[in-house]
Amino acid sequence: MKLFEYQAKELFKEQGIPVPASTLISSISQLDNALTEIGLPCVLKAQVLQGGRGKAGLVKFVATKEEASVEAERILKVTGKKLLVEGAVEFEKEMYMAITIDPVSGSALVMACLDGGVEIEVTARTTPEKIIKEKIDLAKGLMPFQASNVMYSLGLNKDQTASGSKVLLKLYELFVKYDAELVEINPLMILKDGTMIAADGKFSIDDNSLFKQNRYSFTKDYYKNDFEYEAAQDGIPYIQFEGDIGLMVAGAGLANVVYDLISYYGGTVANYLEFGGPNYHKAQKCMKMMLDSKPKCILIATFGTIARADIMAQGIVDAVKELKPDIPIVAVIRGTGEEEAQELLRSVGLNPLNDTEEAVKRAVELAGGGSR
Amino acid sequence: MSIIIDSSTRVLIQGITGKEGSFWAKHMKDYGTNVVVGVTPGKEAQEVDGVPVYHTVRRAVEHKQVDASLLFVPPRFAKGAIYEALDSGIKIIVVTAEGIPLHEMVQIRKAALSEGAMVIGGNTTGIISTGKAMMGFFPYWLERVYKPGRIGLMTRSGSLTNEVTAEIVKAGFGSTSVIGVGGDPIPFTRFAEILPLFEKDPDTDAVVMIGEIGGTMEEEVAEAIGNGVFTKPLIGFMGGRTAPKGQKMGHAGAIITAGKGTVADKVEALTAVGAIVADRPSMIGTLLKQVL
Repeated sequence: MKLFEYQAKELFKEQGIPVPASTLISSISQLDNALTEIGLPCVLKAQVLQGGRGKAGLVKFVATKEEASVEAERILKVTGKKLLVEGAVEFEKEMYMAITIDPVSGSALVMACLDGGVEIEVTARTTPEKIIKEKIDLAKGLMPFQASNVMYSLGLNKDQTASGSKVLLKLYELFVKYDAELVEINPLMILKDGTMIAADGKFSIDDNSLFKQNRYSFTKDYYKNDFEYEAAQDGIPYIQFEGDIGLMVAGAGLANVVYDLISYYGGTVANYLEFGGPNYHKAQKCMKMMLDSKPKCILIATFGTIARADIMAQGIVDAVKELKPDIPIVAVIRGTGEEEAQELLRSVGLNPLNDTEEAVKRAVELAGGGSR
Repeated sequence: MSIIIDSSTRVLIQGITGKEGSFWAKHMKDYGTNVVVGVTPGKEAQEVDGVPVYHTVRRAVEHKQVDASLLFVPPRFAKGAIYEALDSGIKIIVVTAEGIPLHEMVQIRKAALSEGAMVIGGNTTGIISTGKAMMGFFPYWLERVYKPGRIGLMTRSGSLTNEVTAEIVKAGFGSTSVIGVGGDPIPFTRFAEILPLFEKDPDTDAVVMIGEIGGTMEEEVAEAIGNGVFTKPLIGFMGGRTAPKGQKMGHAGAIITAGKGTVADKVEALTAVGAIVADRPSMIGTLLKQVL
């Protein structure tokens, strides 16, 4: 679960990591009060989860009330999400600081670099030695000497090392406390007096740990639209795209490949709905959602062992009987119970296929596309 | 031959009395797997399909010699169950659980490395030495999917494995062993660690690797081929060429993998060392015919 910047900073602040003064608004009418509280100049920051906010014009430095009003109104309108009004900070240097996991060694991994900012990924490719890495044994935790190692390796002076280590140790406490897969401060601003302040915050909580991490919940702000939100309420992963073919696939690996094949044969994907795992019993519900989204054609592909083909087919058959869809359906449903599944599908006039590529080609044709 | 498991491997099932455990224990036995003992705390003295059950792994290994353990244990209890098996000296452990907390995955990987054990998974359908034995759940009764032969497989995806093995059988081949390393961000055993076993197996003529976007496991395989660790033909197939990226969070992932991780990166690394990449599943059979 990715947290919004304002939530990440809430956690930083509680843990004692300095953050700029800020206030959160959700409509333009709240701007005046926010500006009175924070003062000018300030930074307006859209509270959206995707990266590259600056380049997309969703983070704006504003110096006057008029400018603030124009930009705030624009950003609120573009995103439809909350807006963080944050005090501008005068700094001397910026750095990058993050903690994540290293799957190869089985450790947590601290990464820090004085070339912070949006170009950090370029640095990683061109001058990786500038990025200081330190592996942390989760059983031992981050030791203070490791934090000092990181700071001195960056070339920081004594005062900066002291405050940098303090921030890093607190960040690690958060990483553990909230079962994070990533905590990242970019930039972490280094002020003239050697103190540091977190000007941005990325915080991602491990989804598999959400059963014990219930402080934040998935509000509507997390979803692109109502469709995705409603699907999530039913526990069904659903993603909407712009294309023609509605995809129902059991299993992420197969879904990736079917998506690739559709692109290869010149088709486009309208949406993708995962109905493997516990969702294979929900085929009827899934079909309804698919039909409501009005793709030009529906492609159903599975090759399951536990997710039984006959049970999925039954759900599809029930949905077809009830909803009498007027769009073509291509089904390639295999695995445990596949013979029964194919019989079921035939009983409502569907023509079950056996080969994924053949099914993809058929779906692309039926959706009226195709270049191969 | 085959790798990791064959019909003589003495298998323990942790969580054998549960719905999944008992169902697949029976299938495993029917397939020829030597399931010798099961563990479920509180269920000692019961039997599952003739297999005796003990409270703990320690008690089980006091009564039966065990070479490998398969876990049908919910994700929250997986770490404890794995450590319990390691504590009893078991060196091959297969973990099916999907949804193990990430920080626990990190610790499990570390423990496996320091114990010198091969922990496979989590989030895997398991391993099968075709025609001999299996630990996990495979629709082995589908002849057009699981047929003995001379191709080794290693895979990150359950749903895709059936798809690819069916293509291999269609082309007239079969498999020695299929090793599912699992779909989690931290596989406890990585592709490159499976590769030397296939290299050594005289009955495996070539390996098909089913990878996907993300991580660096496929690049590590390229490195192993480059270093001469693996010398047989290898065909890679990877999903996620065109799938739109999810909302990217932060830069850390990209910094760690720097220049690796996309399907294009993986294709480049593999072809540079002479491995073959199939663009589509249907090409795998043809490519196998070309190299063998």
